[in-house]
Amino acid sequence: MKTETNTAEHRPSSIIYRPSFFKATMAIVQKDLAAELRSRELLSAMLVFSMLVILIFNFALELDVKVRQSVTAGVLWTTFAFAGTLGLNRSMAVEKDRGCMDGLLLAPVDRSAIFFGKAISNLAFMLIVEAIVLPLYALLYNETRIFQPSFLGVILLGSIGYIAVGTLLSAMSVQTRTRDVLLPILLFPVAVPVLLASVKASGGLLNGATFAEILAPLNLLIVYDVIFIAVAFMVFDFVVEE
Amino acid sequence: MQSKPIALTILDIVSIIVLGVATYLALVFAPTELVMGDVQRVFYFHVGTAWVGLVGFVLAAVSGIAYLITKNMKWDRFEVAAVEVSTMFFFITIVLGSIWARPAWNTWWTWDPRLTTAAVTELIYIAYFMLRQGIEDPDKRARFGAVYALLGGLSAPITFMVIRLFRTIHPVVIGNASAEAQGGFDMTADMRTAFFFALFAFTVIFIDMMWHRIRLSSLQEKVEELKLNVSM
Amino acid sequence: METFPDTSGYMIAGFVIAFATMGIYIFSIYLRNRNLKSDLETLESLETKQSKKK
Repeated sequence: MKTETNTAEHRPSSIIYRPSFFKATMAIVQKDLAAELRSRELLSAMLVFSMLVILIFNFALELDVKVRQSVTAGVLWTTFAFAGTLGLNRSMAVEKDRGCMDGLLLAPVDRSAIFFGKAISNLAFMLIVEAIVLPLYALLYNETRIFQPSFLGVILLGSIGYIAVGTLLSAMSVQTRTRDVLLPILLFPVAVPVLLASVKASGGLLNGATFAEILAPLNLLIVYDVIFIAVAFMVFDFVVEE
Repeated sequence: MQSKPIALTILDIVSIIVLGVATYLALVFAPTELVMGDVQRVFYFHVGTAWVGLVGFVLAAVSGIAYLITKNMKWDRFEVAAVEVSTMFFFITIVLGSIWARPAWNTWWTWDPRLTTAAVTELIYIAYFMLRQGIEDPDKRARFGAVYALLGGLSAPITFMVIRLFRTIHPVVIGNASAEAQGGFDMTADMRTAFFFALFAFTVIFIDMMWHRIRLSSLQEKVEELKLNVSM
Repeated sequence: METFPDTSGYMIAGFVIAFATMGIYIFSIYLRNRNLKSDLETLESLETKQSKKK
C-alpha cells in the first residue's frame, strides 16, 4: 500500500517539476528526430555526401574485385567518418544558431541528459545513413558478406564510439571562432583508435576471419567505447556551461 | 612583473650545463655503435626528448583534470606549458627518429606503431592549440583545453594498442625487427651512462622550459587583465 | 679493425635540428615575453593617465 503514495502531493511546491533522466534524454531525441523528419536536410546531406565519397573512391582506387578485398572496410569507414562529421557539425550548429542550446541549458534537466540526447539522435542519424549506404554498397559491388550480424555489430560499436567523442567535440567546436573547420581536426586524431579498430575488425570479417581472430580489435573497440562514453558523460557539463 | 627568481636563474645555468654534458657524452664519450655508425648517437637525444614529451602529455592530462575540479587558472597555465614544451620536444623526437631511420631502415618513415602513434599524438596537440586559438574567453579556453588534453591523453595509448594489431597481421619487414632492436643493441657501460644522463638532462631542461612558459602565461594574463581595466 | 658505416652526416643533421628547434623555441618564449612586457608598460602608463584625468 505504501507504494501507492501520491508523489504529486508530497512534492514541495517551490521546486519545479524535474523530469527523470531517461525522460529528459528521450525528449531531446524525440525533438531532434521530429525536426529532422520535417526538414530532412541533415540526412539528405549526409546521404548524398556518402554517395559522392563512394563514387570518388570507386574511380580513385579502381575498386575491382581484387582491390575491394582489402579496401572495402576502409572505404566504408572513411565514408561514415566524413558523413558523420557533417551530421555532427550540423546538428550542434542548429542548436547553437537558433538559440536552442540556451533553452536546453535553462531547462531543469541534468546536463548529461542533454549529452545523451544529442548523442543518441546523432547516432540515429549515422545509423540511418549506414543502413542505406551498406545495402547500396552491397548491391553495387555484390558484397553479400556485409549482412552478417557480427559485421553489423562492429559497425554499431564503431559508430557508438565515434559519435560519443564526436558529440562532445562538436559541442566544443561550435563555440569557437573557426567552428565547422575545427571539428574534423579535433575529432579525427582522437578518433583514430575507433576508426582503425573498426576497419580492422570489419575488414577481417569481410575476408572470412573467425570471431576469435577479430577479438583483439573488438575488445579495444569496446574499451574505447566504454572509456569515452564515461569521460564524455563526465566532462560534458564543463563544455556547455556559460 | 615580479623579477626573475634566483632559483630559476640557477636552473637556467644548470640546464645549459647538463645539456652541454649530455651532448658531450652523446658525441664523444659514448663509443660508436658498430652496425649503424655515428648516426646511432642521436639515439640518446631521441630517447631523452621522447621521455620528457610523453611525461609532459601525461602531466597535461592530469592538470586538465585538476583544472576541471578546482577551476584554478594555475592548472591551466601548467597544462599549456606542458603541452607546448612537450609538443616541441616530441617534434625533435620524431625528426631525430626519422633521421636515424634513413640509414638504419633505409627509409625516412614506416607506419610502425610507435611512429604512427607519435605522429597522431603530435597532431592531437597541434589540434589542441588550434582549439585554444579559436576561443576568446579565458575561462572557456581553459575548460575546453582541459577537456581536450584529457581526451588526447586517453586516446593515445589506445591508438598504440590498436596499431600494434595491424602489425601482427601485416608484418612490415623493416620496422619490425629494428624497432625491437633499438632497445636491444648491446649497450656498453659507457653508452648506458650517456643514455641515462640524457634522460636526466632533458628532465632538467624540461622543467626549466616549463617554468619559463608558466611565467609567460602569468604575464599574459596580467596584460589581458590590464587591457580590460584600461578599456573600461 | 672493423670499419664503421659512415653515417656522420645524418648524425650532424640530427643534432643541428635538435639544437635549432630548442633554440627557436627559447627564442619564441623570449620574443613573446618581450612583447608582453612592452604591452604591459604601455598599458600601465595608459592607466596612470586615466586615473590622473579622473
